[in-house]
Amino acid sequence: MKAPESSGASKSQTENQSFTRRFFFKKTSTALIAGGGAACGLAAVPLLQGEELRLRPPGALAERVFLASCIKCGQCLQVCPPQVIQLAGLRDGFGIGTPYIVPKEGACILCKGLPCVLACPTGALDHHLSEGKDAEMGLAVVHPDTCLAKRNRNEVAHALRHLSAQQGQGGFGEHEEEHEHAEPPPNSKVPRTSASQTSNESPPTPDLQATLAKLLQRLTPEEADLLDSEFEVSGTPEQRLQGLLDQPTPQRLEQLERFYLKTQSGAVGCRVCLERCPIASEAPIVFVPDVHPKNGKPSFRPVVQQSCVGCGVCEQYCPTSPASITITPRMRWGEGEAA
Amino acid sequence: MKKASQAPPKFRFEEVHNTLPEAVSSSRSKPATERPRKRKGPGLRDVSVLENPYRHKWRFIRWSFLLAVNFFFFASFYFDIQLLEGTLSGSRLLGFHLADPFAAMQTMLASKVFNINLFIGMITVVLIYLLLGGRFFCSWVCPYHFLAELGEWLHKRLIHKKWIKRNHVFNDRIKHFFSIFFLLLALFSGYTVFEVINPVGALSRALVYGSGLVLIWVGALLAFEVFYSRRAWCRYFCPVGVSYSLIGRIAPFKMRWNINKCSNCKRCQKVCMVPWVLKETVNLGKSEYVMSGDCTRCGLCVDACEDGALRYHVRYLDQLI
Repeated sequence: MKAPESSGASKSQTENQSFTRRFFFKKTSTALIAGGGAACGLAAVPLLQGEELRLRPPGALAERVFLASCIKCGQCLQVCPPQVIQLAGLRDGFGIGTPYIVPKEGACILCKGLPCVLACPTGALDHHLSEGKDAEMGLAVVHPDTCLAKRNRNEVAHALRHLSAQQGQGGFGEHEEEHEHAEPPPNSKVPRTSASQTSNESPPTPDLQATLAKLLQRLTPEEADLLDSEFEVSGTPEQRLQGLLDQPTPQRLEQLERFYLKTQSGAVGCRVCLERCPIASEAPIVFVPDVHPKNGKPSFRPVVQQSCVGCGVCEQYCPTSPASITITPRMRWGEGEAA
Repeated sequence: MKKASQAPPKFRFEEVHNTLPEAVSSSRSKPATERPRKRKGPGLRDVSVLENPYRHKWRFIRWSFLLAVNFFFFASFYFDIQLLEGTLSGSRLLGFHLADPFAAMQTMLASKVFNINLFIGMITVVLIYLLLGGRFFCSWVCPYHFLAELGEWLHKRLIHKKWIKRNHVFNDRIKHFFSIFFLLLALFSGYTVFEVINPVGALSRALVYGSGLVLIWVGALLAFEVFYSRRAWCRYFCPVGVSYSLIGRIAPFKMRWNINKCSNCKRCQKVCMVPWVLKETVNLGKSEYVMSGDCTRCGLCVDACEDGALRYHVRYLDQLI
């Protein structure tokens, strides 16, 4: 009777020992894994911050608070009338799933009532903001080196130059300053010819159509008559447009550009940024007198004022590429280069 | 034991035993070769969710519901119906705010701002799932759960084909530490860190707004579940599930177990997606209801039970009426 009992006791003892040892190892390993995980999590905090500063929808709180309070539901995106809000991906670290805007692809138009702000369930887009002109998304920054206004150059003429360069064989004359902007670089012949072939076959692009329509709109009646005689078109504005669109050869576009530069409106520099600005009445951009960088003729230069909210419409429509006016997100008046 | 087998009742006992479903015999200590077995597929130990040889009524209803809810999320944006705008983290149902409780708590802890809209949305969701039963969210709404269910099926197939040796099991209480850890991390880091890795939110966003790079992480998680540990995320880690399981503990909508009908076949536990939740009820008989908050009310046990012993039931309802 005694022997089995004692053996049982010893067995249970060894079991206990092995149990405690296993228990110990289990707990230690768990603690190690948990500690390691926590350490990794904390170490990842700085790594996980976004790579670049994004332009947030209007009313966004300060970036850090914004990241903390955005619940990443995307409701702002759903209600956005121009559909310009995008959601950040994995590369944005903590900003994953947060809304941002790329002005060049589509800028915020500061809709009436700011539906994105109203849709935000967490107040990451501040509900105190009720009007677009009070938003503080960032500030526009002008890059005068490429700005057309400073060179007294009209955006229609600029677009005509681009279109003819795109369609032509590169035989375009040595005009003022355009080589850096010409789309196909002069030394790459093969892609250019292939592109020109495709463009010759395809119908007139919407770009061309829009440009020509804008040109016709700007002409005074006398200038329009002159155009009719020179380009053998006539009739209503639609018929004229169609007549011009029929032969979109590079030579014709070049001729058109020369014609346009002589007209009244063609001599005026580009004003697109101010024309397109959704809060133009607040005068966020004023044109101050300047001189042409090369020939020294008097010209104008856009200067950003305090009322700019950084919506990015100017960047979206700026005719140069890259844009001569860009948005610096989160910048406030008086900071950096804005002053 | 010997005495019993020699006694006349032994014959009757054997007879009864043989008529019982085979699951019972497999759970006894006798060697398996003694009893005739009619097996199909991976065997009873691994009856697949999708190969469950019983009924599929509730699974069909549940999957339809899950797909419908997620379709509404998708369609509200894609077709601009404005019925259920947003994602599972936060949304608006016909204009009423809804917010995932865990995401909302993280946001409030990280930003240290009490936002009334968010709080209302959170309370609405809590109330909805108080009615529906806590982790009802998991099996009836969560898109990741749907993928994980398919992953579980694949996992069982692979085990059956002996491509994987075994399923690795963790302690199911890890998830509580996980959720506390992420709440603390949100509080101290000031970022909603968990939302970076949250597969539920990521999938929901991908579904509504198009895919993103984060789906790689979701795929990795699924691969881990398929090849290493069955349904690991939902069972052992998901803090979103934890928040709903806390609600589920007190939610009156539960699975009810009728001891008088039960033939103790344990089929319910074979098909259950969170196997430990039935233990207290079916094995230990501690309660008439499945009390664990981890029960997702998926209805697989209802489908599996041939005796009709497990049913959806609203607790206290008979007392109210």
